[in-house]
Amino acid sequence: MTERAHRPHPSLDDPSIAIEDVLRESIVDAVPVARTEREAEFYTLGDGEMLLNMGPQHPSTHGVLRVVLKLDGERVVDIDPVLGYLHRGVEKLCENADWHQAICYTDPLEYVASLFCEWAPVMAFEKLADVEVPRRAEYIRVLTGELNRIASHALFMGWFALDLGGLTPILWSFIERDEMMDMLAAVTGQKLLFNYFRIGGVNGDINHEFMSRLGDWMSRAGAQIEANQGLLNENEILVRRARGMGVLDGETAMRMAVTGPNIRASGVPFDIRRAHPYSVYPELEFDIPTRQEGDSLARYLLRADEVKQSLRIIDQCLHQMPDGPVMASVPRLIRPRPGRAWAAVEGPRGMYGTYAISDGTDQPFRMRIHDPSFVHLQLVSLLTPGNLIADTMAIMASLDPVMGGVDK
Amino acid sequence: MSMAVVTWQRLNVVGKILAIAVPVLIALGLVTVGVAILAGPFAIEFVGDNVPLLRFVAAIGAVLLLTIPTAFVVIFMELKVIARMNLRVGPDRVGPYGTAMSVVHGLKFLSKEDFAPLGVDLQVFTIAPVVVFVGSVMTFLVIPFAPGLFGLDMNVGVLYLFAMGGLTVVGLLMAGWASFNKYSLLGGLRSAAQMVSYEIPLTLSLVGVVLLAGTMSLNQMVLAQSGSIADWYVWQQPLAFVIFIIAGIAEANRSPFDLTEADQEIVAGFATEYSGMRFGFFFFAEYVNVFVVSALIVTFFLGGWTAPFDWPFPVAVAIDPLAWGVGSLVAILALPVVGTLVLAAPFWLSSRITTLQALVIGFILFNVVAIGLVLGWAFVSLDWVSGLFWFFAKSYVFVFFFVWLRGSLPRVRIDQLMGFAWKWLLPAALLNIFVTAAAIVIVNR
Repeated sequence: MTERAHRPHPSLDDPSIAIEDVLRESIVDAVPVARTEREAEFYTLGDGEMLLNMGPQHPSTHGVLRVVLKLDGERVVDIDPVLGYLHRGVEKLCENADWHQAICYTDPLEYVASLFCEWAPVMAFEKLADVEVPRRAEYIRVLTGELNRIASHALFMGWFALDLGGLTPILWSFIERDEMMDMLAAVTGQKLLFNYFRIGGVNGDINHEFMSRLGDWMSRAGAQIEANQGLLNENEILVRRARGMGVLDGETAMRMAVTGPNIRASGVPFDIRRAHPYSVYPELEFDIPTRQEGDSLARYLLRADEVKQSLRIIDQCLHQMPDGPVMASVPRLIRPRPGRAWAAVEGPRGMYGTYAISDGTDQPFRMRIHDPSFVHLQLVSLLTPGNLIADTMAIMASLDPVMGGVDK
Repeated sequence: MSMAVVTWQRLNVVGKILAIAVPVLIALGLVTVGVAILAGPFAIEFVGDNVPLLRFVAAIGAVLLLTIPTAFVVIFMELKVIARMNLRVGPDRVGPYGTAMSVVHGLKFLSKEDFAPLGVDLQVFTIAPVVVFVGSVMTFLVIPFAPGLFGLDMNVGVLYLFAMGGLTVVGLLMAGWASFNKYSLLGGLRSAAQMVSYEIPLTLSLVGVVLLAGTMSLNQMVLAQSGSIADWYVWQQPLAFVIFIIAGIAEANRSPFDLTEADQEIVAGFATEYSGMRFGFFFFAEYVNVFVVSALIVTFFLGGWTAPFDWPFPVAVAIDPLAWGVGSLVAILALPVVGTLVLAAPFWLSSRITTLQALVIGFILFNVVAIGLVLGWAFVSLDWVSGLFWFFAKSYVFVFFFVWLRGSLPRVRIDQLMGFAWKWLLPAALLNIFVTAAAIVIVNR
């Protein structure tokens, strides 16, 4: 009756013991238990080294990436990216939705350029279901896709400058990106996650508002992009911080399965739009810009070059677009033949691929999504050791990962 | 209930206030008179004996008070100017054009919890913001704002400035160490490395100015530059001017040298674990520092409070009201009424404005005109008013310059920062000293 069954901590009964003191005693350098050889090596500190936990809430880790840095003073000795803070199990979700519904699950994977995450599964599903896409729909896909690519690259330039400490470029590029997002919202109905591509076409034809805004924007896009880049490209501080930083040679890039602007900045002219042509890209004229240096500056400048090519493609799309339907006749509920299909598109960050297996039912049996950000994030631990903390940001930002796609 | 309680309850609010205030005021007045009669002679004697001491105390009080509006103005400029550069609007909700935003910032800091995380070294953690704040505020003491308007005319003013600058480093290092946070530690170490390195070219660049002026007192330096725009030291010391600006930006921890609080790299540096008014002190000190560096640039190189040109036409505006006679004084008393009516008349004629509105407009316009006239008269006839005007005008040009840099430049890296100080600024400052000394010897021969 008088004795309590569970005695709480003495500090709760004894006012002379402050809970802060008890807790302060318990603060120790908590080193996680190593599960692999690599972890055992990483968490063994040498003389004068310390671990710095950066993220998942950190101003410049692009969402919820967590990296553990092993530091010797300001110098990064080793780096360990920790993923999974944004994991939603998209691939499993897709297996429990029917073929049409799966598209909107893949949409928020890559929230910066979400049209490309729709494009790859849609193409894979079309291969499985033998659907012929109308030519006008293909042109609209290319047109909106390239617009989205410019929006993504514009945002990249702002983020890159912000990670190097510049305040203004991010806001300037958001103005441009907002204009493009508004255009896409006019035609797709949503501003960020469009959910526009459908199996067999697109959800609705391009409309008057889209065309008038696009015409308006195209007439000043070139000059505007030049002006935004003028703030950065010839900036001595930016160039000095990015040049020679995180050099990735073409051989390593190919070995690490790097795609997109990152591999083209290393001198490998690999672009899925030309290497494995899809949609109406064979009918369009554009160059594949490459750069030989493979450093952060090259990766930044290459994206600036790509914006110009995308503007060319949009211009051609507007001139060559045929009339006709934008949607093939596809039933509400499709049951593709049993089989498997792979489709890949060239997104602003690299190759977005979808590998879908059908067992003949109305739901995918298995879906695998290949995301370029995940592949590129592996480069961080390859490129950053030996540089300073500030360079970690310059390198990570130039690889342009989006955590939504990394964690899926 | 007694009579007193009933009477008290029957009073309204104003009556209650008066019933308390009047006896209290009478009592206070009696006490004051009594104290003045008893202690008056001693007080007068004390003041007469200790004029320098009291002046010093008054100066420190004025300096502490002056930092508040200074920091508010600089913060408001930072918010608004960077917003315009970012193609944003900036604060526009609090006060006209958002001018009260900084005041609200200050109130927000005051109303926050005074929080110290677990594991911090509480004494050092608490003292550190104060040290930083004192280090930046006390530099105000030797800055001459106008002729005769300075806290203390120290004959080692320049040395005092750098001693106070050194205090800031100690404070930042304390904050970095005491915070029990690796980001703070990195920030504190960065600040130590950066500010110690940049203090050397900063100090050496001033040696040329000290050689030219022949004194280390800031007031004497300004007096040595008075005359015309051609007497400013910026023309004789252009290299030192550039070095001082660059090193001053680094000393004030401003972009592009704001490595101690590089939020993309080390979150907020030394201030990561600080919140509430403790952080407010850092925040305050940073913006006071911006103004101090601008003021020092102006004092050393751009003539301080001296006007860039003489007032082009002579004006005799000495006022001697006693010689005017009763009629003129009555006319002056009638001036506000007449002025208001005259200025209201054109608005009153408009059919859309009522008489009352016209009178209000006339009153406001009269106030604007009258204040403008008084300020103009003061500017022309009182040299400390024009001195203040020129001093603040020049200083805020540099504050704007610092804000402009922050809005347009990325941040340099720590090794580039250190390399720049030791490989470029230091040799340039030494070169400047030798050239200046040689020139002085040759000219004086």
